[in-house]
Amino acid sequence: MSPRWTKIRRDMANASDRLLMIVVALAVSIAAVVTMMTASAVLMREVPRNYLGTNPASAQLELDTDVSEDLLRQVRQRPGIAAAEAASAVVGRIQVSPGEWMPLRVFVVPDLAAQRINRPDADTGAWPPATGAMLIERSALPLSRTAIGDSATIQLPHAGVRSVVIAGTVHDPGVAPAWQEQTIYAYASADTLASLGETPHLDLLKIVVSEGATDVTSIERTARDLSGWLTSVGYRVHEARIPPPGKHPHQGQMNGVIQMLLAFSLLALGLGAILAATIVGGLLAQHVRQIAIMKAIGASSRQIASLYLGMVSVLGLVALAIGLPLGIVAGRGFVTVVAELLNLRIESMALPAWLFGSTVLLGLGAPLLTASIPIALAARRTVRAAMDDHGIQFQPGRGGWLTRWHLRDASLTLALRTMFRRRTRLLLTLSLLAGAGAMFITSLNLKSAWESNVTQAITDRHFDIELGVQEDAPTEQLSAMAAAVRGVIRVESWSGVAASIAKSGEMEVVQRYPDGGHGGFALRSAPPDTTLIAHHMSEGRWLKADDTDGVVINSGARGLAFRGVTLGDAITLQIDHQPVRLTVVGFMRELLTPGAVYVTPAMFGRATGQISRSNTLRIALDASGRDRADAVAHEIGQALERDHIGVKSMITEKRFAAAEGGHVYILVFALGFIAIMMAVVGLLGLASALGTGIIERTREFGVLRAIGADSAAILKSVLAEGLMIGILSVFIALVFSLLLSAQVGRVLASISSQPLNPQLTASGALAWLAIVLVGSVLVSIIPARRAARLTIRETLSHT
Amino acid sequence: MNKTASTPALIQLRGVSKSYASGANRFVALREVDLTVDAGECVAVVGKSGSGKTTLINLLTGIDSPSEGEIHIAGHAIERMSQAALTAWRGRNIGIVFQFFQLLPTLSVAENIMLPMDFCSTFPTAARRPRALALLDRLGIVDHADKLPADLSGGQQQRAAIARALANDPPIVVADEPTGNLDSSTSDDVMSFLASLARDGKTVLTVTHERDLSRFFTRVVTLKDGSLASDSRQPAGIAA
Repeated sequence: MSPRWTKIRRDMANASDRLLMIVVALAVSIAAVVTMMTASAVLMREVPRNYLGTNPASAQLELDTDVSEDLLRQVRQRPGIAAAEAASAVVGRIQVSPGEWMPLRVFVVPDLAAQRINRPDADTGAWPPATGAMLIERSALPLSRTAIGDSATIQLPHAGVRSVVIAGTVHDPGVAPAWQEQTIYAYASADTLASLGETPHLDLLKIVVSEGATDVTSIERTARDLSGWLTSVGYRVHEARIPPPGKHPHQGQMNGVIQMLLAFSLLALGLGAILAATIVGGLLAQHVRQIAIMKAIGASSRQIASLYLGMVSVLGLVALAIGLPLGIVAGRGFVTVVAELLNLRIESMALPAWLFGSTVLLGLGAPLLTASIPIALAARRTVRAAMDDHGIQFQPGRGGWLTRWHLRDASLTLALRTMFRRRTRLLLTLSLLAGAGAMFITSLNLKSAWESNVTQAITDRHFDIELGVQEDAPTEQLSAMAAAVRGVIRVESWSGVAASIAKSGEMEVVQRYPDGGHGGFALRSAPPDTTLIAHHMSEGRWLKADDTDGVVINSGARGLAFRGVTLGDAITLQIDHQPVRLTVVGFMRELLTPGAVYVTPAMFGRATGQISRSNTLRIALDASGRDRADAVAHEIGQALERDHIGVKSMITEKRFAAAEGGHVYILVFALGFIAIMMAVVGLLGLASALGTGIIERTREFGVLRAIGADSAAILKSVLAEGLMIGILSVFIALVFSLLLSAQVGRVLASISSQPLNPQLTASGALAWLAIVLVGSVLVSIIPARRAARLTIRETLSHT
Repeated sequence: MNKTASTPALIQLRGVSKSYASGANRFVALREVDLTVDAGECVAVVGKSGSGKTTLINLLTGIDSPSEGEIHIAGHAIERMSQAALTAWRGRNIGIVFQFFQLLPTLSVAENIMLPMDFCSTFPTAARRPRALALLDRLGIVDHADKLPADLSGGQQQRAAIARALANDPPIVVADEPTGNLDSSTSDDVMSFLASLARDGKTVLTVTHERDLSRFFTRVVTLKDGSLASDSRQPAGIAA
């Protein structure tokens, strides 16, 4: 090895502790970037593969009668149709423990084995199940508290309560995990339903288009053509459901979250690279005379620069060697968590070549780019300028303002003034720590904002049970039956029907997925004098009893279908095949509630024909009833059944809270992960700044000791400097976190179609303050003790 | 070596001044210095602290540039050269010996001497270590070739620094207070060696504030308050 590279090798060995910080910071930030790139690469491939693997229907047409085999044959002959099948979905309940029921949605097809559209994968147990048995989605098994082979008690609209064997599980990536939606998804043949006494109406015509399968306009055109033909041959099409083509129900959210996390991890890498530049800058400050000597004996600026860039390259390569595999492992772990959250089956964790290429480019390029600034400055200094560099000092006349700062203790005064001597380094250290802090606090702000939304949503809902019945029934009767149950104090009718934006003279088209839970909005009847919800109006007013065509749009529906609509606008909805014209009187901020537009019961009756009838009740309980909400719900269900009124759904507020909480934890987890990575980088930056400062001030410590300062005074001064920087960074982090929280909140609000207003939380700020204080002491203690142990002779002979 | 009418001077300074900003004022370190040095001369630059000796050396080596005047060395107007060109030129043409030795602490003595050859590519890679050892042998410290500078005495380190200055076989050797940190016996050895370099054909300029060492030189240039106070020649260097 040539002498110049020997020098660099030995310099690296001598500065191994500081260079180790660069490696750790870069490795950690590279790991964060690779984690997100791995997640992105695998999920972007596996999510569509999972979803498209089910051969999702391009559209589902709801007819007024069963879809016969003969009709299917004719449909398959139609232009633009690649496949067609009949199906149905029956909504009921399943008993998960004595007295406790959960919503059940049974997907029914004529023959499970022959199903080709929206086909779930066989998972465990029997496939296809014998007649009389059904399958459930794999994520629902633990929730249903059954095992394969067990009999489950279910309630269907017409058959009533029945016992059915759970023959096995399937994996259906087209539906969200059962725990997330708090709904059990089941799969059964028409014969099985018949054997249970339920006559399924296979009135859904599922089609897959042969051309333009990813173009919603093309699909809609084909669906309309088909609808026109069906009408011409005597069928009536109620509704066409066209989910976003080829997109998993959570694809948009997932893309948004991963892109945001990737941006944050790139920010972490940027901070890691800045740290590398800071440490290399400190090293160059220490080597300034050596550089001058090398230039004096013939080294060119380029040769000097190449030596230190070579050093950074080696550090980058070592960091890559650590960060890349670490990131891949973490990324695969992240994918596994997301797969569970999105109900995916990951076929392959293979990573594309671009990931490795871009990681090497980023891992090496980022530190080289940032470090090239101090390296270029050092390499280009003239011999004279470098020889005249005597370490930390003030330019004449530029540090005087600091002398106005006095603290009682001389060590603390020294710490305070020292902090501002290398202002560029202070700025970089503060940026690192404040950046990390801002992200950390932001992640907790967002978690808190979401939890506060859940709490607020629950607080705004002054009812404890929402009851849906299979068929609408007289409101008086339903209300009286529910009110008769002990613990019930108030009952209101809140009927709802699926709605869509009307297009004149055309069939109803909704963007709803087969699971029924994603994509649509409802028209709901709302009592103007309701006491069961707190209506926070963002614009306009709540409904009045004498409103004729007034409508209030909630935040979910506004985000989904009414973005351009303003107060006073007329909107036309398609309700039960009829256009209904309404005037917007208000926009309501309703948290974590599916998209809904509210009209008076009278208007609802006119629009749906359900005059004085109801399909949904909201029920408030007294304190004793609230304590046993599941039991009260069960009693209400029994009372209705005695009158042969089938219960479609019975959602207690406890279950609502569980369903809403489940959506956000992945984001909080991921943000927290990146924040911790950045905290590590930030604290390493502080350690490096203090370490470099101590090396530069070695002579000064000697002088201090020579004039009477003891080890404790020096230790106190260095520790105080670390703490002061740490505390200052917390204040800056708080300001940054407000901006970052608002920005990320906007992104998440847009993704979730829910308002999200993250506020600065005391817990987040205090947690970060504690981390910074403890971290500052920990990273300061080693350089402080080292400085305190130096003898006067060692310090004064330091060059 | 005597100057002939047809041989141009190796080093020529014409009206060279140098001043520095010092707060709101300017400090004049050198005032209109004219100096000519011929090849093979062994020149001592003497004067009190602050007289401008180091400034003069820095200007001659291109470490600093004059505020006014011209400096020609072997026909090159060095004040007009770019930093990059100056670095390359200096590495091959001037060997510098610093007061505090300034050996790189993480390189062995031999590696320190090989470093200029490495940077300037003046000798084939395989020839560099033998040359470094030969120079160390000449200075009597070859046994310390593989030690780190910190393991050597001050005198030994200065000999190593002289060996490094000679690594690229430059025609000019410039030394800035080379005996400033040495005892008198070692100082005599170092000065004697520098004088011997001049006898071998190199041009040697040495800054010293110790007038009694001027006996080693063929010429003594005295600076006072930045100006040339005297310029005296001695036949052969009294003690050389």
